Amino acid sequence: MKIWMILVLLLVLVAPWGPAQAESNQQKIVFGQSAALTGPARALGIGMRLGLHAAFSEVNRKGGVHGRLLHLESLDDRYEPEAAIANTRTLIEQNKVFALIGAVGTPTSKSAQPVATEAGVPYIAPFTGAEFLRDAKKRPNVVNVRASYYQETEEMVVRLHEDLGIDRISIFYQNDSFGQAGLNGLRRAVNRHGLSLIEEVYYTRNTEAVKIALLDLRQANAEAVVIVGAYKPAATMIRWARRLNFNPYFINISFIGSAALAKALGPDGTGVYVTQVVPFPRDTTLPIVAQYQKALKKIDVNSKPSFVSLEGYLAGRIAIEGLRLAGPDPTRESFLHALTQAGDIDLGGFRLRYGVDDNQGSDRVYLTRIDKRGRFQSVNKMSAP
Amino acid sequence: MNEPPPTGPTNSTDSGAPPLQVKPTAIEEPERERKFRVGIGARLYFLLFGAVVLMGGATVLAYFTFNETLQHEIRLAEYSMPNLINSVDVARKSAVVVNGAFRLVSASSKEEHTAVVEATAREIASLENTILELEARSAFDEQTRLIRSNLEELGTHLDVIKESSARRLEIDRALNVFIDELGETTRRVERLLVQAIDDQAFYLVSGLRQLDDKVDSIRKRASEDELTAYRNLITVNQSSNLAVLLLDEVLVLADRQFLTPLEERFQSAVRNFIQAYAKLPESMQNDLLEENLTRLDEIGEGPEGVIKLRMEALLRLEQEQETLAQARTTSESLVSEVNNLVEQINEEAIQSSEASRAAAQTGILLLILLNVFGTIGAFGLGSLFVRRYLVRRLVGLASAMREMASGDLEVPVQVEGTRIVRPVKGSAHYLTQNIKYLIWNDEVTDMARALEVFRRYAHEVQRLNLVEKLAEELDAKNENLEHALENLKAAQEQVVAEQKLASLGQLTAGVAHEIKNPLNFVNNFANVSIEMADEIDDLMKQQDSLDLEEVRSILDELRTSLGKIKEHGKRADDIVRSMLEHSRSKEGEWRKTNLNALLKQYVDLSYHALRAEDNSFNAEMKEDLDANMEEIVVVPQDICRVFLNLVNNAFQAMHEKQQKVDGDYLPTLSISSRQLEDHVAFSIRDNGPGIPDDVRDKIFEPFVTTKEPGKGTGLGLSLTTDILLRHGGSIQVDTAVGHYTEMRVLLPLEPPAEALSSMEDKTE
Repeated sequence: MKIWMILVLLLVLVAPWGPAQAESNQQKIVFGQSAALTGPARALGIGMRLGLHAAFSEVNRKGGVHGRLLHLESLDDRYEPEAAIANTRTLIEQNKVFALIGAVGTPTSKSAQPVATEAGVPYIAPFTGAEFLRDAKKRPNVVNVRASYYQETEEMVVRLHEDLGIDRISIFYQNDSFGQAGLNGLRRAVNRHGLSLIEEVYYTRNTEAVKIALLDLRQANAEAVVIVGAYKPAATMIRWARRLNFNPYFINISFIGSAALAKALGPDGTGVYVTQVVPFPRDTTLPIVAQYQKALKKIDVNSKPSFVSLEGYLAGRIAIEGLRLAGPDPTRESFLHALTQAGDIDLGGFRLRYGVDDNQGSDRVYLTRIDKRGRFQSVNKMSAP
Repeated sequence: MNEPPPTGPTNSTDSGAPPLQVKPTAIEEPERERKFRVGIGARLYFLLFGAVVLMGGATVLAYFTFNETLQHEIRLAEYSMPNLINSVDVARKSAVVVNGAFRLVSASSKEEHTAVVEATAREIASLENTILELEARSAFDEQTRLIRSNLEELGTHLDVIKESSARRLEIDRALNVFIDELGETTRRVERLLVQAIDDQAFYLVSGLRQLDDKVDSIRKRASEDELTAYRNLITVNQSSNLAVLLLDEVLVLADRQFLTPLEERFQSAVRNFIQAYAKLPESMQNDLLEENLTRLDEIGEGPEGVIKLRMEALLRLEQEQETLAQARTTSESLVSEVNNLVEQINEEAIQSSEASRAAAQTGILLLILLNVFGTIGAFGLGSLFVRRYLVRRLVGLASAMREMASGDLEVPVQVEGTRIVRPVKGSAHYLTQNIKYLIWNDEVTDMARALEVFRRYAHEVQRLNLVEKLAEELDAKNENLEHALENLKAAQEQVVAEQKLASLGQLTAGVAHEIKNPLNFVNNFANVSIEMADEIDDLMKQQDSLDLEEVRSILDELRTSLGKIKEHGKRADDIVRSMLEHSRSKEGEWRKTNLNALLKQYVDLSYHALRAEDNSFNAEMKEDLDANMEEIVVVPQDICRVFLNLVNNAFQAMHEKQQKVDGDYLPTLSISSRQLEDHVAFSIRDNGPGIPDDVRDKIFEPFVTTKEPGKGTGLGLSLTTDILLRHGGSIQVDTAVGHYTEMRVLLPLEPPAEALSSMEDKTE
């Protein structure tokens, strides 16, 4: 073969790695986040951003990872899939981010993640338990932290059925891919217990038009309502239910945004359950939670611990761990490779494990309940009010 | 080489007279030619001149040929090629211009449109220039005029399409803005209406509007007003959705005809939601919803709305397609005109280059012919003049000289042309003879003739010296031969003496053993004698009773003892003398000799010599000697060497075998002798390893030995053969490998003549 042909071949082979290499050599390592910072889901995006900032600031104060400081670039997608795609493109092409982190929502992730996968950019810790993101073979660049919606809905049915003996379970879901993911998980879970859902009602995303659905739930005489939706419509629905003296068990999926939900519900929140995929943020007996609270106070004295910002903090910590394992000159490939090869990772009592076909770190689901003062309690079992 | 018989004036020396009597003065002077002639120099100049003329001719021819080719090439380069390039250029640029129209119609952005417009304008301008160049240079006016008019027509089409498509792109951009806005507006309307419908439906069922309201009575909440409000909300929602769907359809519609019915349906949908909205109770009307609904109407039906713009765009596209079709027709005729032009110009260029090639080919052909003739001429002349005329004769001359130098003066010098002489006027063939003479009469002929004269002189001188020289050489050779003979004899004696010394060395140990016995006797008897003498002394001291009898008896014993001493001393003396005889290096004497004794003596010597080297060696001896054998005349020194050689070989062979074969082997040497009718025979037989067949045939040749290197000279048996031959005797070998070797020596009773004469000399 002629030499110039070999050279051209080499160039073609090497070219795609060039930019990734170049940006790794800069002093800072930039992460990009596209999340809802405004709109009805803004509490989630802002919480994630806060947790990520806490984790990055903590490590930057210690001199960074292998001497490199971490930086977070956050863009608002208002929980709209189109905006999420545009933001992801901007972050990859203009901001030249090393990885994407802390996206919020299932429809947004469903739209943005293919963009990242095509560009070969890691997609770390999206704030969603949707099952499609857990397919490690088709999405080798995705790194999940939290347990899946399937696992959450399974836990809900186990608790309702075993602790309370309830069979009449219904669902109230957001009519999009997020709600669909929760619906699929819940259907599978009730089927496993020989049951079926007695009513399935939905509401339109980014509206609070939930009242007709509520009437249907009441009509069906549901004993328990699993809510797969955003905190605002969920709170509206629950409050109206209370107003109508319709009081089934309400169980929310982790995506709800617990603090915001409790605040929106006010006194009507008493006894509402939320499944969580991260530890209780006030449980400082866990070292990771203590570290989280300390890091949070460092960047904002007035901030209060929350499930969302804890999840953001954990996302930041796993990113830091991956960089640490990948060594002084991390590439996107070596970063992902290091995580899959790391075996058990123990972030101060919160254990994660990745593998070649397993891109989800934690399988833990935690159960919490809102008490009379509107505060969350960590509970192991459900009980009658 | 064939020597023609010498003729003419050169044959005077070849007479039958004896050489010594011929005198050098008998040789004639060669004929000298001093008249006009053409020499070798002149001939070479003539040849060179011929070559120069040929070369000049070739140069002139080449000049004319190349000049002709050059003229054609210049025409091609200055006229045909630029035309060709221009015409190809015209074709290429025309294609770009034609293509421009298509690209304008299909352009999808303002940038692309502008780029195409600019590129097309550039190509048209450049095309004008090229056509001008073409017109200035040549006479293709008809073609260029047609191309120009086609081009102008195409330009008009292009302008039409350019403007229309630019406007179309503007419309597209405006429509794109509308599409975005339509999406936003639709989402807002839907959100507001879904909420309102949800609220109203809930109110109809529950009688609650706000969380802290009191529940309205069923009569109030299910009143006709509330139900109408709910129906109108649904209508607004459905009609607005329908309007959006219709607009979507308008945006993708490709057929202008179907736009009108769509427009009507859109208008009715708008009417529906506006009327329904107007009927809503004030509490349900809100500014945001109203604003968005109005905007939806404007987007669809406004004077610059989606439907109007879409209509205009489709209309323009149709017109552009028509213009494009016209442009295609024009461009087809343009392309065909351009092709015409290219073809014509190409034709012209082909003609030019054909002419150029033809001229070049003619030139090349002529040059090749000239070259062939020149080469053939050069070879012909070279072969004729240089090889045949000069070189061959010079070679003849040189070979004659070489022969003379090597001493052969018998052959006369023969070179072509020496025998041709100037003819006498009026003789037969005068003219041809004269021409031959002119050709052949040159410096080489002179040299040949001069050499012939020299040869004849030298020949005479050589004959005179030859006999004397032969006699001297003969003497010298004789002397050398004698000298060599002497050297040879001396060398032979030397070899024999060395062989003698070698055998002497071998015998020393044996001799020492032989001498030791008699010396022991001498010593013992000497001691006994001294004791006896002392005894006599003692007896003599007893003067009173001297017993003479006693003394006498002792003296007798003493005498006997001394006799023994003398006897053994003589024996030692004999041994030493025989040794001396053996080693005396003077030419051996012929003597009558007891050969049995000689053989026994050398068997003992050889046996003891070997035992002195290896005292473990023991051999059994068997003797069967003819006691009545006569003494015969031999050279004892030589014969003893024969015996010694044979016995030594026998012992050494057995010794070797004993060392190889352990155990029961007992070396046995048997010697025997017989006197027969006219000769004596001796046999020396050992039970050694024997001699292999392949060696047996060679053992009597010199330097053949079976012993280890350094142990034998290889001369023993060879000398033995020589000695026996000298004595008129012979030797035979009988052997069986692994069993025995028997050597038989035969010697005649009558000594050879040499022996007799030698003995006579001695007696004298």
